[in-house]
Amino acid sequence: MDDARRAGLAAWLPDSFSIVGMALMSGGAIQQNWQLDVVADGTPHAWVLRTDQPATLSHSRPRAHEFALLQEAFAAGVAVPEPLMLCTDLCVIGTPFFIMRRLDGIAAAHRIVRSESLGGGRLALVAELGRALARIHTIRPASAALAFLSPHPNMPAGMRFVTEMRAHLDVAGVAQPILEWGLRHLERHAPASAEIVLCHNDFRTGNYMVDQTGLTGVLDWEFAGWGDKHEDLGWLCARCWRFGSPHEAGGVGPRAALYAAYEDASGQRVDDDAVRFWEIAATIRWAVIALSQARRHMSGTEPSLELALTGHIVPELERDIMLATS
Amino acid sequence: MTDLDGAALLDIARQTLLADIVPALSGDARFKALMVANAMAIAARQAQYGAVAEPADAAALAAAIRAGLRDGDKDLAQTLLELARARCRISSKTAEKAG
Repeated sequence: MDDARRAGLAAWLPDSFSIVGMALMSGGAIQQNWQLDVVADGTPHAWVLRTDQPATLSHSRPRAHEFALLQEAFAAGVAVPEPLMLCTDLCVIGTPFFIMRRLDGIAAAHRIVRSESLGGGRLALVAELGRALARIHTIRPASAALAFLSPHPNMPAGMRFVTEMRAHLDVAGVAQPILEWGLRHLERHAPASAEIVLCHNDFRTGNYMVDQTGLTGVLDWEFAGWGDKHEDLGWLCARCWRFGSPHEAGGVGPRAALYAAYEDASGQRVDDDAVRFWEIAATIRWAVIALSQARRHMSGTEPSLELALTGHIVPELERDIMLATS
Repeated sequence: MTDLDGAALLDIARQTLLADIVPALSGDARFKALMVANAMAIAARQAQYGAVAEPADAAALAAAIRAGLRDGDKDLAQTLLELARARCRISSKTAEKAG
């Protein structure tokens, strides 16, 4: 962050806060995360400033929406980075930003699924994940602060999913018989309407942080929207998000422990058939995303080895879809 | 020089990359070098196995599946599973072993 932006930020912060350190954190093609250290009355505060990349035409959720999601989740008792301040005034650092408390811990999926002790051990961590999901799902469409989220259409969530994915495939314009087979299977087996709740929509290992004792926070809220609670449970349990681990719940621990903790915290039964339905849906959704990333490379608009390799994830997803549906 | 085909050349290039270059790297450069090694492995398998035979008229097949005209077609399910497995042989070494 150049001197002018940093000075703008320093002037915007309440008088008692002075900036003692700022460093760009890794990752994020669309968003930037800055490690921000401030001192107020002799007390150090560890924060993260999240903003858009300058000169990025952002199609992702605006920072103000992401901030509102974090506020709602925090108020519902979900472990998240506490949202502290939001600034949509472009005169301060040139882009909208918000500040949240910095969490300790690691998010690296490959390390988490291989560790017997991180997050307090497999059973403890899986139970925490179940409780975190149960708390997220207490947030309902009546929430005025989340009025910016598209209302859920008047159809079962499974049918909404099939309709959305077919629309994506039609826009891409490349015939995908295996993904069509999977979607047709889902269409024929869609669970009946369930209560509509806030779904995180990217709740998987790699998108939460843990330390040695437990879950420290759920990250990456940009895909959140209204849906069926089983969508999040299925996304977490899908084979493609186990990172090669034999443990069915997020590659971390047993599925039964996840369900038990979720049921205990929510007082609602988990429908195993519905979770399995959403695991197939998760596999299809990840394949559709991976295909669109590979197309960004192949079209020549954004040559990238990483995007090209993402396309080679698709066959394994297609095989999982066929094994689950035939 | 007729006995050293493209796949074999990629293979020895990849082994050299992994054995002699990657250990000297760290951070982002190491991550990218491992991606390059992965891409070379895929290209080598592509050269070895040749192109995967795709369905004759994928667009018509996709439309028929969506319309429900192929519901319960066990032969088609088997064909599509074999297609996915053939693609996995090229794209993913672990997938080939697993399924």
